[in-house]
Amino acid sequence: MAFPLPRGVTASEIAFLAEMETVTIVPRQRLEGLELLGGPIEPLVPPRRASLPLWLALLLKRQRRANIIPPTWLHPEPLALILEVESQHQDYKNAFSPPPPLPGQPSILDRDTLPSARPQYTPDGNRYYAAPPFLPQNTAQTVTSSRDPPSLPFHWVEVGNMLLDAASDDLVDPDQIRRLLKDLREVRMAKMRSGVDVLDAAATGGGGVALTGVGSMELGEERGFVTGVVDGLRRIGSSKEQARREQMAEQRANGGYDGTQDDDEEEDYMEF
Amino acid sequence: MPQAPQISALYRAPLYIFPNATTSKPMDIDDILASVDRGPGASPESAALDHQLLTRFWVAERAVSEVLPWPAPLMERIMDRVRIQIETIEDLAASSDTTLPTTANTHNPNLNLRLSILQTDLARTQYIVRSLLRARLAKITKYSMHYLVLLASRNQNPLASQTQSTASQNPNQQPEDSVPDISALTDLTPLSGPESSFLHAHQTLLAGHYAGSFMGAFPRQLRRLDDNAGGTSMIQGPDLKEVVFVRCLGAEVPVVVEDDGDETGVMMRMGDVWVVRWEGIKGAWGRGEVELL
Repeated sequence: MAFPLPRGVTASEIAFLAEMETVTIVPRQRLEGLELLGGPIEPLVPPRRASLPLWLALLLKRQRRANIIPPTWLHPEPLALILEVESQHQDYKNAFSPPPPLPGQPSILDRDTLPSARPQYTPDGNRYYAAPPFLPQNTAQTVTSSRDPPSLPFHWVEVGNMLLDAASDDLVDPDQIRRLLKDLREVRMAKMRSGVDVLDAAATGGGGVALTGVGSMELGEERGFVTGVVDGLRRIGSSKEQARREQMAEQRANGGYDGTQDDDEEEDYMEF
Repeated sequence: MPQAPQISALYRAPLYIFPNATTSKPMDIDDILASVDRGPGASPESAALDHQLLTRFWVAERAVSEVLPWPAPLMERIMDRVRIQIETIEDLAASSDTTLPTTANTHNPNLNLRLSILQTDLARTQYIVRSLLRARLAKITKYSMHYLVLLASRNQNPLASQTQSTASQNPNQQPEDSVPDISALTDLTPLSGPESSFLHAHQTLLAGHYAGSFMGAFPRQLRRLDDNAGGTSMIQGPDLKEVVFVRCLGAEVPVVVEDDGDETGVMMRMGDVWVVRWEGIKGAWGRGEVELL
């Protein structure tokens, strides 16, 4: 078998992705800049702060060559605040607390401002919008302005646990942080479970279920369950669609593959 | 030793190309475009961007049931860089050889650390590439007939696909005959060249094996692998209606599904995470407005 893993990234692959997050460190020794395949890293000159991918920061930390400055959100106060919002706030009874805004996305405080996504362009001329883990959401100084309420980044479970494991001496009150992370995880897991009722919406044609604010690991845990439920509901509830699909399959088998990738994209454009 | 100055010459600015990064110097799109003009693999910034593109493509490939279009230019640049990086590591390792232990150690106390960082980084990239290729191979072998017929139907006139009904009259009908010949094709989307030749070779072997083990005993008209008698196609394709998890990256992205005239579904807003059907956001994914999670 060429590939034994199920569809969708698994837990260890999610942790692998989380290790690409950028964190802030204070190096304890010099190191010249390096050209990595993931991009260049800046020269380390103590005691100047530097931003590195998490995997490299952990490698240096384990060899006592650097100290990691905890991300802005990984302190007891912001975590306690987020926990309060998650568990007490009326608006977020059935939703996750808002995630950190993407570049160009207005902060949660001014909802009226329209988002202005600013793409970069890839060498092949396509648009590219940066997203976690390639946003500085876990640096000591996040990009969000200070008036923004604290928020949990996409990879909060993984980054939090990895830093607690490898760099707990760099954190402020690690035991309290550990407790808060556990509480947050339980509150949010309960929300995820109670949201099963609305999954029906994702089974209909153009419908969907919003999970905005969900963490990567939380998503990975529920992936198999959610996709299974939705696909099951789809099969049960749509005999109409079944008939249509059979008709389409017949067309496909008889008249060659007209519905290929390129055609699909053109159709989408026309429908706007 | 010759490697070290070369690295520092290549080094220009920190990698952070996020528009808002306060931790480092922000970079303009112009800078990125200018650096790209110097050719593939030339600049550190494009290395960072390509790494992000590769990571995103890998996650997407793992998330959906069909084979995504092969990003040939991106993979060429990545593999070029991997080759160069392996050479760099070999040169560095050679310079730390036991023949000159004292000089190497005094000149560069961090050599071992640098080597282990470079090797870890290389291994991480190689892991992604390997996982990506294997995930694609698994899908290609699972839906092999589907992709063969898809490729073969592209460059033929409509009449050619009708040959199936006449071919079943052929007295010497064998399962191998239903494997389309795709050797003359130039447009192999969504597969890469090696993938499509693997696909053809694999399916030919499989059809030969079926013929030898059980299909040879079937009545002649039932020996085709793409049989669709009775309105039931024997070809299994990926299910495009499966749901995926997406994050909306554009300002507003609609879910587009043709469903009894109701063509546009929910509207996703920037930063939202949704559970939606893959077919509904496939177009938006092609335009880079959503990412799969």
